[in-house]
Amino acid sequence: MKIVVCIKQVPATSDAKIDPETKRIVREGIKAVTNPFDAYALEEAVRIKERLGAEVIALTMGPPRADMVLREAIAVGADRGILLSDRAFGGSDTWATSYALSKAVERIGGVDLVLCGKQAIDGDTAQVGPGIAAQLGWAQATYVMAMPQVDEGSFTAKRMHEDGWDLCRIAFPAVVTVVKDLNQPRIPTLKGRLAAQKVEIPTWTAADVGADLSKIGLDGSPTRVVKTEPPPARNKETLRIEGSAADCAAALVRELRQKSLV
Amino acid sequence: MLANTPALRAEYRNVWVVAEVSGGKVQKVTWELLGAARRLADARSCELWCVALGDGVSKETAAIHGYGADVALIVDDSRLARFDDEAEAAALVRLIGKYRPEILVCAATTRGRALIPRVAVTSNSGLTADCTGLAIDPESGDLLQTRPAFGGNIMATIRSANHRPQMATVRPRVMNALDFDPARKGQSISEGLLEGESGAFKTVLEVFHDEENPVNLSDARFIVAGGRGVKGAEGFKLLRKLADAVGGAVGASRAAVDSGWVPYNHQVGQTGQTVQATVYVACGISGQIQHLVGMQSCDYIVAIDKNPDTPMMRLADAAVVGDLYEIIPAMLAELART
Amino acid sequence: MRHHIENRIYHVEILPPKQETEKLEADLEAFAVKFNRVMASGYCACITDNAMGNLAFQGSEMIEELSLVPGDDLVMIHLNTFHTKENLDGILDSCARLGIRNLLVISGDGSDRLPRLSPSDVGAQGVEAVTSVELLRYIERAHPGFFNLGVAFNPYEPEEHEAQKMERKMAAGARFIITQPVIGLHPMVEKLLAKYPQVPVIVEAWMSKKLDLLSEAVGYEIPEGTPYDPIENLKSLHAIYPKCGVYLSLLGFKTQYDLVKDCWK
Ligand SMILES: Cc1cc2nc3c(=O)[nH]c(=O)nc-3n(C[C@H](O)[C@H](O)[C@H](O)COP(=O)(O)OP(=O)(O)OC[C@H]3O[C@@H](n4cnc5c(N)ncnc54)[C@H](O)[C@@H]3O)c2cc1C
Ligand SMILES: Cc1cc2nc3c(=O)[nH]c(=O)nc-3n(C[C@H](O)[C@H](O)[C@H](O)COP(=O)(O)OP(=O)(O)OC[C@H]3O[C@@H](n4cnc5c(N)ncnc54)[C@H](O)[C@@H]3O)c2cc1C
Repeated sequence: MKIVVCIKQVPATSDAKIDPETKRIVREGIKAVTNPFDAYALEEAVRIKERLGAEVIALTMGPPRADMVLREAIAVGADRGILLSDRAFGGSDTWATSYALSKAVERIGGVDLVLCGKQAIDGDTAQVGPGIAAQLGWAQATYVMAMPQVDEGSFTAKRMHEDGWDLCRIAFPAVVTVVKDLNQPRIPTLKGRLAAQKVEIPTWTAADVGADLSKIGLDGSPTRVVKTEPPPARNKETLRIEGSAADCAAALVRELRQKSLV
Repeated sequence: MLANTPALRAEYRNVWVVAEVSGGKVQKVTWELLGAARRLADARSCELWCVALGDGVSKETAAIHGYGADVALIVDDSRLARFDDEAEAAALVRLIGKYRPEILVCAATTRGRALIPRVAVTSNSGLTADCTGLAIDPESGDLLQTRPAFGGNIMATIRSANHRPQMATVRPRVMNALDFDPARKGQSISEGLLEGESGAFKTVLEVFHDEENPVNLSDARFIVAGGRGVKGAEGFKLLRKLADAVGGAVGASRAAVDSGWVPYNHQVGQTGQTVQATVYVACGISGQIQHLVGMQSCDYIVAIDKNPDTPMMRLADAAVVGDLYEIIPAMLAELART
Repeated sequence: MRHHIENRIYHVEILPPKQETEKLEADLEAFAVKFNRVMASGYCACITDNAMGNLAFQGSEMIEELSLVPGDDLVMIHLNTFHTKENLDGILDSCARLGIRNLLVISGDGSDRLPRLSPSDVGAQGVEAVTSVELLRYIERAHPGFFNLGVAFNPYEPEEHEAQKMERKMAAGARFIITQPVIGLHPMVEKLLAKYPQVPVIVEAWMSKKLDLLSEAVGYEIPEGTPYDPIENLKSLHAIYPKCGVYLSLLGFKTQYDLVKDCWK
């Protein structure tokens, strides 16, 4: 079996700020880390490999230094990493990103399963996983909280919904996006990390994966971010509720109901 | 579709809401979306359509009209009883090609966020995720879509100028539904599912509905959180009752977790989880910065504390001064009363 | 621990490199240099465990992988509750192999990415979660009598709560105490010393000039008054707590290291 895990390098969110002058997202000096959800996708791939035997390939699209997230993946059990990097990919929205990643999956060839995180903590769209499935014309399972059975031809996936879950059987090839309930990702050992430092990571360009230049980057992206700004300031007024417990409770519940919050 | 000239764009008209359907019933979030989309349709002087795919959804036609849609486009098929996203996507792509809506919105639920990206990619459209604001740009007539990104630290406005339809998923509980008007009538169109569209990719084996116990904290819309003021594991049972009463999840401060009253996966804050609930009720949590960073982007914050002057009480939208052991039972009684 | 205090052996905190470091080799080198320097001074190196919830490498694997030589009784490993059972057992075994007996057992700082021991992992019954108390009991059972176990004391937490926790930690087998950073005389530390006269107590000296960082580290606002001089504070701690050891956190190896040896008289 051949499994590709898509890993995005993201800024540690809590640091995200808007420059008050330029109104742009400040990226300088912010740590870049593996998108947390992707660690769960990777862990599941490594567990499938340990159970059934598989080749696990970590794939990222990003700047040259995004090789870091691939090395981390190799340190915990991915067999190899591929860095998709080209100026032409810059500014890709989820349409163009899923197109580029799907071209890399095609170039890898013979892939049975693509695993993605539920969403990236910066863009926060959760669109790239199902986007890759659509680009490839493959089956998809999103918000997957368990993969109880995996065998050579098919697997079962438990999908999380707001009002419960469902369980489906899907034949390979397929794209799966995962939530944190899936597993507990292992943490790299120093020995594993040191070995991963030495691994050669190939860089693939748009030309290498045969990407149509009109479908990638800013030009290939149907959406455009036209403005970014800080979230509206929290309503400064605090409603003080005092008195007997019954009065307080009544006032609070009334307030919540008025705002359609319960 | 690429629609980079006014003539091409003019081929696309009307606003579509794709209904959220579960167990054959159109869900409440759809009415919210119709409320918001009604404004867009009026601004564009066009029709508002609601597309419902599912088993038994034709029964919902009157409700769809009553909540503001001019046209109900119904695909009622027993093969859509369970969530087969590839089948729904295939049908939607076909219908979009046939009827050419200018704008398409859908709830940003797990179903909507599985389905619409597939539709958008296949029909070569831009898609904006999890919007909290939608407006028509008066100059271009384009849809301006506002959404939080970076975990709510940033609001981005997004536009798809050259592609039609313009698609967006919309966060539940943000938009307001119109009042239901049983007298409102509209048109309805019935469409079928084509051979090969369903069951091609997956078989749903089992469905489990559990509305009472929302899964995890980071996805919960309502959180009741406790701190050291809860004083013990027993007290957390009281919080659980309140959470159950409102369909919420239980959170905790680190002080409560470190005392062993609740497991760590309930911890909110710098070294716990970051949550973005619609309502966060902090019970006996003073609100040290390490806790606040994990919950301050919740929409509506309630604090219950004996001490009227804690950082949490100052941050809160509603600050209730009192003993949580008296307030919470009173709230439970109040909620049960009506 | 008693002999550390009697022989004026400082406890020097060293942080292993973070998992996300972009300069792993350089960080490993810096760790080794610090470790060896502490050993050469005859001090005790105290190695943190994913401090502040930041994923970092483990002290024991650092020592093994970098072939560092722990001095006799001169290493202390911090151990918290954010591990898998397998991991925890691995760490305890390698500490045993390396002859490292001093463990500071703490609940610790978690993060999304860190696992957490469950009550069943450590054979604890009737509790919702594993805290330092359950971890202490487990270590005592898994390696009876081998380790010298210490616990943390936070004088910034509500007094009654912290006092109760300390009683439970002592009952679970704690044999020494390290406080959170103290500035000058602290009434809760006084009470602690009075309550446990037989237990070695090591007070933490905050060696950074930045008090706002200290507020972050203890979780409560530390009133910022006059400018803070870490070396002066260190001297005053020795004067106020002559029977206590001192743990140096955020010690500047370039600027402060050579100054501290003259502070403990
Ligand atoms: C503020 C802001 C708002 C945006 N809003 C939109 C929007 O509404 N619509 C839109 O189309 N684009 C949007 N974008 C662009 C979008 O963020 C980028 O296209 C991004 O490359 C992928 O989207 P995401 O971060 O949301 O990933 P998600 O779709 O949330 O990621 C899901 C999973 O896909 C995989 N994945 C994603 N990116 C990569 C990658 N580069 N390499 C490897 N695997 C990857 C990972 O497994 C990840 O867990 C926005 C960008 C910004 C900065
Ligand atoms: C590195 C680091 C990381 C940390 N990470 C986190 C984190 O992720 N999450 C987190 O929460 N904390 C974190 N902390 C701890 C944080 O600094 C605080 O210590 C903690 O949040 C305090 O919890 P609390 O508010 O429950 O307790 P307290 O501050 O003790 O507050 C208890 C409150 O309960 C009120 N009260 C008491 N009895 C009642 C009653 N009967 N009815 C109503 N109110 C009552 C009191 O008036 C008081 O306001 C971290 C600390 C550090 C150093």
